[in-house]
Amino acid sequence: MGLGGARPTRTLLSPAGEGGHDPAAPPIALESVTKHYRGGGGIDEVTFEVERGEVFGFLGPNGAGKTTTIRLLLDLIRPEAGKVALFGLDARGSSVAIRRRIGYLPGDLALYDRLTARELLTHFAHLRGGPPWAETEKLAARFDLELDRPIRALSKGNRQKVGLVQALMGDPQLLILDEPTSGLDPLVQHQVHALMREVAAEGRTVFLSSHVLSEVGDVADRVGLIRQGRVVAVRRVEDLRRRSVHLVEVTGKAPFDSDAFARVPGVVRRDLDGPTAHLEVSGGIDPVVRALAGYELEDLSIREPSLEELFLAFYQGGGAT
Amino acid sequence: MNGHLVGPAHRRRGLHSVFERAFDEQRRALVGWAAGLGGLGLVMLGMYPSVRGNRSFAKLLEAYPQALRTLFGLADYTSGPGYLRAEIFSLTGPLLFVIFAILWGTDLTAGEEERRTVDILLANPVSRARVVVEKWAAMVVGVLVVAASLGLVLVLIGPAVKLHVGLVALSAAIVSTALLAVLFGTLGLAVGAATGHRGLARGVTALAAVAAYLLSSLPELVSWLRPARPLSPWYHALGVDPMGTGYRPLHLLVLLAMTAVCLAVATVSFDRRDLAT
Repeated sequence: MGLGGARPTRTLLSPAGEGGHDPAAPPIALESVTKHYRGGGGIDEVTFEVERGEVFGFLGPNGAGKTTTIRLLLDLIRPEAGKVALFGLDARGSSVAIRRRIGYLPGDLALYDRLTARELLTHFAHLRGGPPWAETEKLAARFDLELDRPIRALSKGNRQKVGLVQALMGDPQLLILDEPTSGLDPLVQHQVHALMREVAAEGRTVFLSSHVLSEVGDVADRVGLIRQGRVVAVRRVEDLRRRSVHLVEVTGKAPFDSDAFARVPGVVRRDLDGPTAHLEVSGGIDPVVRALAGYELEDLSIREPSLEELFLAFYQGGGAT
Repeated sequence: MNGHLVGPAHRRRGLHSVFERAFDEQRRALVGWAAGLGGLGLVMLGMYPSVRGNRSFAKLLEAYPQALRTLFGLADYTSGPGYLRAEIFSLTGPLLFVIFAILWGTDLTAGEEERRTVDILLANPVSRARVVVEKWAAMVVGVLVVAASLGLVLVLIGPAVKLHVGLVALSAAIVSTALLAVLFGTLGLAVGAATGHRGLARGVTALAAVAAYLLSSLPELVSWLRPARPLSPWYHALGVDPMGTGYRPLHLLVLLAMTAVCLAVATVSFDRRDLAT
């Protein structure tokens, strides 16, 4: 399954046009979508597709254009150029029909603060044609959400839970989650990740935006990297992992030989500085760990590359799509 | 009884529509305004016995220049209709109604955008047009509630102070006032929907209301303004003196038409914009 990059040549809008839609159409398809703001920012010529049944991670630093892309999907803003289609339907022309199949968690979450979670959720359930309350209550229980306190009295994490429950209720075909785990404690983050996997396992689709590489790496099948408004790569996570590097800093009891680690597979760069060696390891970390076993060590650190370093690895490693 | 059971009805059966939610959102403000306008009616009725049929007071007012008497609606001040016209329906009442409607109308979509709740609202399968129209309807019902509060006070308590006003004249004045308020609330909704800025919408709409009032009243003093009078919705509502002349269907139709135009502008412009950017 090659690089899993965007396939820009397919027709994005179903020829069936208004009314009917193509069941094989991808949940999300963007073709050369451009949107700029007067104050700067926005996205340029963004093209990618999200497949049914996958968790698609949309990864990029803050301000890269993730939220802009998402708000285009929801028809909250309109593109200057390009086509935005969901389920083969035009994002603007069929917005209501599309939203009937979507659960959306905004990144900058603002709720009706005077309502309780129960009031907000029942209100939205009515607007959506009434998913059964028992199921919503089950979801709320799963997140340990307090239903009967006014939302304004809830902590940031609990508000986020309200946002998640309203996005998940009614089992939407497509979940669009903008930074869903921000403000949540690690335990709940984990729950959210598990839920996303469940949703995908049911054949539904998750579009997850995040600036946290580890989160995307944990749950996504594919990742789109966005930077300064441009999608620079769309990859399968496995490929990204394989390509990813580890940075190893090791201090021995004695200085290393000048050819130490030179023949260890995967070491793509090494700097020896007396007793300390800095290694950049591509692929698996195992060979380096085995090689280290031959030395007496003072200190050892192995860290995952930051998002920025990963991007650099992409560019240097010829990571173009 | 347990506090749980006496709460507002929606706590038991839930908010169904955008309309209900919009109405519920302004529940407290609405109670305040309805009480306030009802209170205004009460106070005015309470002062009426001291001017009722007071000959010397009438004489005093007759000494005022004609222009001023017309401007402040002082004609026939010591009679029931004249008194209500001067004290409530020339300026104070409509002004309060219009402020109430502008505050609500400008908050409907622009407030939702400024509080950034528009994202979560439109995550639901409701069209933007439906959001505008349902929210607008909530504001209209709100204005009618406040109007009913004032009307009921005047109708029920009026006889106690021997305020002799025909039901037709009184209801015509109240309906005209309410329609004027609905128009300016709708204008506020339209400016807010087109710009997303509540403060701006309030400023622009308040300015328009003041201009409409002046354009309706000043021709009493400045005769060359007279031909421009029909441009003012205030003229169609109260300038034609519903308290004295009863229902004026054509003028009310003009108000309704102006409101329809504002609502159409609100719907179309809200539908076309990038929201909460």
